[in-house]
Amino acid sequence: MFSKVLIANRGEIALRVLRACRTLGIGAVVAYSEADRDGLAAQLADEAICIGPADARRSYLSAPAIVSAAVVTGCDAIHPGYGFLAEDEGFADVVRAHGLTFIGPPAEVLACFASKEATRRLLGAHGLPTIPGSGMLRDEDHAQEEAERIGYPVLIKPSAGGGGKGMRLVRTSRELDSSFKVSRSEAKAAFGDDSLYLEKFLEDNRHVEIQVAVDRFGNAVHMGERDCSVQRRHQKLIEETPSPALSEAARQDLADRAVKAVTAAGYENLGTLEFLVDGKGDAFFIEINCRIQVEHPITELCTGIDMVALQIKIAAGEPLGMTQADVVSRGHAIEFRILAEDPARDFRPGAGQVVSYLAPGGPGVRMDSHLYPGYEIPSYYDSLLGKLCVWAPDRAGAIARGDAALRELLVDGVITNIELHRAILANQVFIDGKVTTALLDRVGSAPFVSAGIR
Amino acid sequence: MPDRAEGANPGGVDRAQALRSRRDREAIARLADDLLPALIAKLAASGLGEIEVREGGWKARLRKPAISEEARRMAARAVESHAAHGIAARGAVGHGRPEERDRRLRPEEEVVEEPTRVAATSPAVGIYHPRRDLAVGMRVRSGDRIGFVDVLGVHQDVVAPVDGLIGSSLAEAGEAVEYGQELVRIDLPETAADGEPGRPVGDAAAVARSV
Repeated sequence: MFSKVLIANRGEIALRVLRACRTLGIGAVVAYSEADRDGLAAQLADEAICIGPADARRSYLSAPAIVSAAVVTGCDAIHPGYGFLAEDEGFADVVRAHGLTFIGPPAEVLACFASKEATRRLLGAHGLPTIPGSGMLRDEDHAQEEAERIGYPVLIKPSAGGGGKGMRLVRTSRELDSSFKVSRSEAKAAFGDDSLYLEKFLEDNRHVEIQVAVDRFGNAVHMGERDCSVQRRHQKLIEETPSPALSEAARQDLADRAVKAVTAAGYENLGTLEFLVDGKGDAFFIEINCRIQVEHPITELCTGIDMVALQIKIAAGEPLGMTQADVVSRGHAIEFRILAEDPARDFRPGAGQVVSYLAPGGPGVRMDSHLYPGYEIPSYYDSLLGKLCVWAPDRAGAIARGDAALRELLVDGVITNIELHRAILANQVFIDGKVTTALLDRVGSAPFVSAGIR
Repeated sequence: MPDRAEGANPGGVDRAQALRSRRDREAIARLADDLLPALIAKLAASGLGEIEVREGGWKARLRKPAISEEARRMAARAVESHAAHGIAARGAVGHGRPEERDRRLRPEEEVVEEPTRVAATSPAVGIYHPRRDLAVGMRVRSGDRIGFVDVLGVHQDVVAPVDGLIGSSLAEAGEAVEYGQELVRIDLPETAADGEPGRPVGDAAAVARSV
């Protein structure tokens, strides 16, 4: 096991990793940018080190700064969290070159799964159904040809991407023309890689993902699925497990095939395979996320597994220590992403001081957040303030606990989307478990908000 | 600017306080973003030694130090980075982050454009190596190399932010340093001879209106 881990991230995930390190009895150093000096992780850590200015390119995205910080503080491993350099094989390689361990898949595994387009072909060859798509796009003309072949509507997707950045839905050739360059520059800015590909867009699909864990000895388990269909502009808003979209048999089948395919393809460490599920219940593999995901706590609530600790153990070369039979998923869990966004003003992100903050409690309630009263939210990074997760023996119970917890959650001083969450919970489509990924974008949030409970 | 007082939890106990702090923030932002740069320009262009401006319960006073314009700018920048490190920076009125401005500008607190001591800071996280011949009292010019920080074998220069004299060392040779850490104090030549503090020159309100 490692003796000391450098946490190269911020916000709630830095705190989450810090907690996992403490649970495992290993030291942790929080690396922070100048804008995150007052961040909770940096405040709570036994050791914290400033790695650069607010601009992420010179701090959280700077491999030399992060590796140097790990070296001078005597760390033997680096946890990248999610986003930033979490899936950057070049970074993982630099980390290893300095005698440190990257907590995540090894560099060559990341490299193998770095291209979404190539991954789709690879896992398709290992038996996963895939969605029609293009190869890597050379230029606008190539994009036009491929879009014609696949058939509109299509999604433009950055190969290096995640989190919806650089992604565009286009329905016509003209839209493709205007969106291509924007996507390319967004992808370049967000990931430092502007390669794009196209994917057939399924109307009224659901987003279901399978969580897997594979150690370096080839032992592998899945931890069931998460349904992330409540999205706004490809950003997940609410996630739940199990998925209301799949029958027990379909769920088992999909999870089994997913874990078999990634193991055969040589995957290692935690991973999430994302699928689109159409109206008929057919699932199509779209991409794999080679990192701990924002929504991992709902899987933890149902399985009782500390996934960050498991991720660290696998990276340290320890065996999984469990078989599929040991992974038992109980009850139903829902996560609400609490964002500093104003649903009434086109989700404009906000910054400013958190005047007061009170996290909810009670049975089955978990709040992962870096907020505290007086915390000044920096405007440089994403708007995630925290994740409210609830667990109950069944879905109706989880919805009831979710609503009670959302009512209790107090974040004063910044505008949040708490009321939008309550409104979605009260919406019949959600209660029926029939939300599709396009729903919020199509109807807008106004009907949800106006119909919401006062 | 979003109306922060109307948070997602109406009826919150700190509503009034939130409103007040929002107003304060806005006043500070106005001072720092709109007025101060204009005042600085005005001060630099004019023969005035000092300008004071009041807005609401806030007051900002600028005094022109008798050092070169470039050194003044460099100093302001250096002091700004002090502020980011929680070290009292009574001086610069540069464009810090909002929370820095918040901390620096308190009601009725003076803001004086007169840094007298600044420090060379670390450009990166790594191992600090001062120049071998570095000695207290040594005269340096703005931009002079004082040492370097070794970042995984790549040397990043530590430079003097202003003209001045090398003061005390704040980090040892071979020490691990973080980004922005103060490494060497730079003492500025004595400059505060002119102008009594606390005596505004000219009609500040008129100046503020005219800029």
